[in-house]
Amino acid sequence: MEHTSGFSLPNSGHNRDAEASKMGMWLFLFTELLLFGGLFIVYMVYRSLNPESFLLASFELDVALGTFNTVVLLVSSMTIAMSITAIQLGDAKKSILLLYTTLLLALVFLVVKYFEWSAKIHHGFFPGLDVYENLPPGESLFFFLYFFMTGLHALHIIIGGIIIAVVIYRTKKGLVDKDKYTLTENAGLYWHLVDLIWIYLFPLFYLIH
Amino acid sequence: MSNTNENHNEKEQVHISGYKEHFSTLMALLLLTVITVAISVFGADLRSLSVFTALLIATVKVIVVAYYFMHLKYDKKIYTWLVLIVAILFVSFTVLTSIEYLNR
Repeated sequence: MEHTSGFSLPNSGHNRDAEASKMGMWLFLFTELLLFGGLFIVYMVYRSLNPESFLLASFELDVALGTFNTVVLLVSSMTIAMSITAIQLGDAKKSILLLYTTLLLALVFLVVKYFEWSAKIHHGFFPGLDVYENLPPGESLFFFLYFFMTGLHALHIIIGGIIIAVVIYRTKKGLVDKDKYTLTENAGLYWHLVDLIWIYLFPLFYLIH
Repeated sequence: MSNTNENHNEKEQVHISGYKEHFSTLMALLLLTVITVAISVFGADLRSLSVFTALLIATVKVIVVAYYFMHLKYDKKIYTWLVLIVAILFVSFTVLTSIEYLNR
């Protein structure tokens, strides 16, 4: 009996391992980075093959809106980083407020993106529309890459927003607190990744003239 | 830092980044954004330079985000090493393929 009393199955309880969770998140982020990295290489190769067309096409994008969205994402990165600070200090209310702010900024980003896309689609630059089909080969490629890469990025914003909503819900229920904030941390890491990708997308599509 | 992960009550010393530090980080990122936009909009004569500078500034911004916002500065060094390995893998592939293309 003495021997069995100290015995327990390795994973019999609900063991939390914050470090392993974080490592898992980082490993996932690396796959995301390489996914977008592959797309960046496609962009780079085609840009070097069609420098003039890419240059002309990039003038069609609105630098002011792109800059505005960059600022929105950078601020949202700060608010989610601050929400982690708040929960670590035990201030759940402030953490939730900052998460709501981040969510609001994500919505602002998507609304601006929506107007940018609709303007381009209205003018026929979307693949399949009349203007797009009659563009010189290099320029249509620019718009294809623009829609594909910013579209994939916008999808990440939507997923990030859903994750943040889950964190808000679980923090409200008291499942995330001063001692268990891995969820907030991992949501933050994901959100920062979305920001990182935009940091490269923005100059490549809007700024390089 | 203790190695045991069986006793959940035993709290490890964690670093908590301050609000001020996050705010300063944001200010640095906004400054870099202003610089990169200004170069693009007003520096039309620096055309050949702007591709390189835009990517350089973007990379500096990414490092700032990863180091402060993503907490690499205070986390275990294994994360920094992993990020570096992935970055080196990607950059070396990109640069090596570009070299072949440029030397035709």
